[in-house]
Amino acid sequence: MTNRSPLDLVHRQLGAKMVPFGGWDMPLEYSGTIDEHLACRSGAVMFDVSHLGTVRLSGADAFDVLQSSLTNDLNKIEPGRAQYTHLLDEADGSVLDDIIVWWHPGEDSVFDVMPNASNTDRVTDAIGGTDITATRAVIAVQGPDARELVGGVFAEASAVGRFKVGLCTWNDMPVVVAGTGYTGEPGIEIAVPSDAAPSLWEALAGAGIRPAGLGARDTLRLEAGLPLHGHELGPGITPLQAGLSWVVAFDKPAFRGRQALLDERERGLHRRLRGVTTAGRRPPRTGCAVFAGDAKVGSVTSGNFSPILEHGIALAFVDPAIALGDSVEIDVRGSRLAGTVVKLPFV
Amino acid sequence: MNLPEELSYSAEHEWARRLDDGSTIRVGITDYAQDALGDVVYVDLPETGTAVTAAESVGELESTKSVSEMYAPVSGTVVAVNEALVDNPALLNEDPYGEGWLCEIEMSDASELDALMDAAAYRALTEG
Repeated sequence: MTNRSPLDLVHRQLGAKMVPFGGWDMPLEYSGTIDEHLACRSGAVMFDVSHLGTVRLSGADAFDVLQSSLTNDLNKIEPGRAQYTHLLDEADGSVLDDIIVWWHPGEDSVFDVMPNASNTDRVTDAIGGTDITATRAVIAVQGPDARELVGGVFAEASAVGRFKVGLCTWNDMPVVVAGTGYTGEPGIEIAVPSDAAPSLWEALAGAGIRPAGLGARDTLRLEAGLPLHGHELGPGITPLQAGLSWVVAFDKPAFRGRQALLDERERGLHRRLRGVTTAGRRPPRTGCAVFAGDAKVGSVTSGNFSPILEHGIALAFVDPAIALGDSVEIDVRGSRLAGTVVKLPFV
Repeated sequence: MNLPEELSYSAEHEWARRLDDGSTIRVGITDYAQDALGDVVYVDLPETGTAVTAAESVGELESTKSVSEMYAPVSGTVVAVNEALVDNPALLNEDPYGEGWLCEIEMSDASELDALMDAAAYRALTEG
């Protein structure tokens, strides 16, 4: 069965091109992916990200369950803050899902855990909680002007700072707001009860915030060097390989997959995620081989044309001997693109 | 969907316009095709002088979301390509029947053009 966002009708009335994504029917684009991408970098756009799951944990043991399950250290934050973290496979340290935890303000033990669309069941299997995905929509407003424009119609939400979490009210309905996102731009994400979602979307549109779809969300996150589960994270891929060791609190006594990661660290990484820029407009693509001279040294996990840089960019797992600044080539269906290993983010 | 009546259409979602010399056609992709592709960011055009065969691949169109082959609607020789697309492939989306044309082919067998669809038949194909 395909899930529909509470904003589904709004998207169709706007003429969005809809696509299946992780069991949901979601907007791919409205005016066009590049146009929406550039609007996010220069002003502000809003995405419907209702396909992200929301699992609510509350109760006296909620903190301990999360602290002993997820990789990051909740003691580094406090109520009213958000944290990026991973849920690992106990056996091999693979990333089962990458997650944002919103810790409700003023509450020691209420957390909203936000998994990827199709991974919600894996997360509830591991940590329990109540899946409240169907009760709300999530609207992500992103861009350098996001807070200012939101402030014109929903001042309470625009006041929520970077990686902070606030409880606000929209049309007498309780709304959870976090200063998080997936574009590399400032912004906020608003979890609003389903019935109130269209009125909030329309108010934001009235404030001059344009809609953007999953197409731009993907090119934006790629330019920002952010991983996508199923590409840079997933079965066989550990946070260490993905260059995300900062998400892993080894000094915690226990979390799922800790021993597997310690073993990998001891053995040494056999590959690591790097950013590669390529010459010319041709997009490198997922699965393209990366070469250093005649030797295959890795493969692309995500690649595209960068609308800001106006050339190709790719994330790729490569041999750990490949260093920043190295020249490589990416094989795109028989043509070799000249590439350079660069520091992330790309922009 | 914009479908000029005077053009011929292929099942690969390309159009052909017969030029004044009678033996050369200009080729592009249809409005339906550009909409399905999304923003085109790279065009791999054939070289002038290349011999092409009807329904065979002569190049690639790449958008932010996918790669699509470009096919020759008729057999012949490529006599011109739209160099403007190299730096500005967005022309394909903005003006698929005009500034976004792909190439011109001198036909080796002009009867192949008659085998293509008219606008009504192509519309039926895309709406079916």
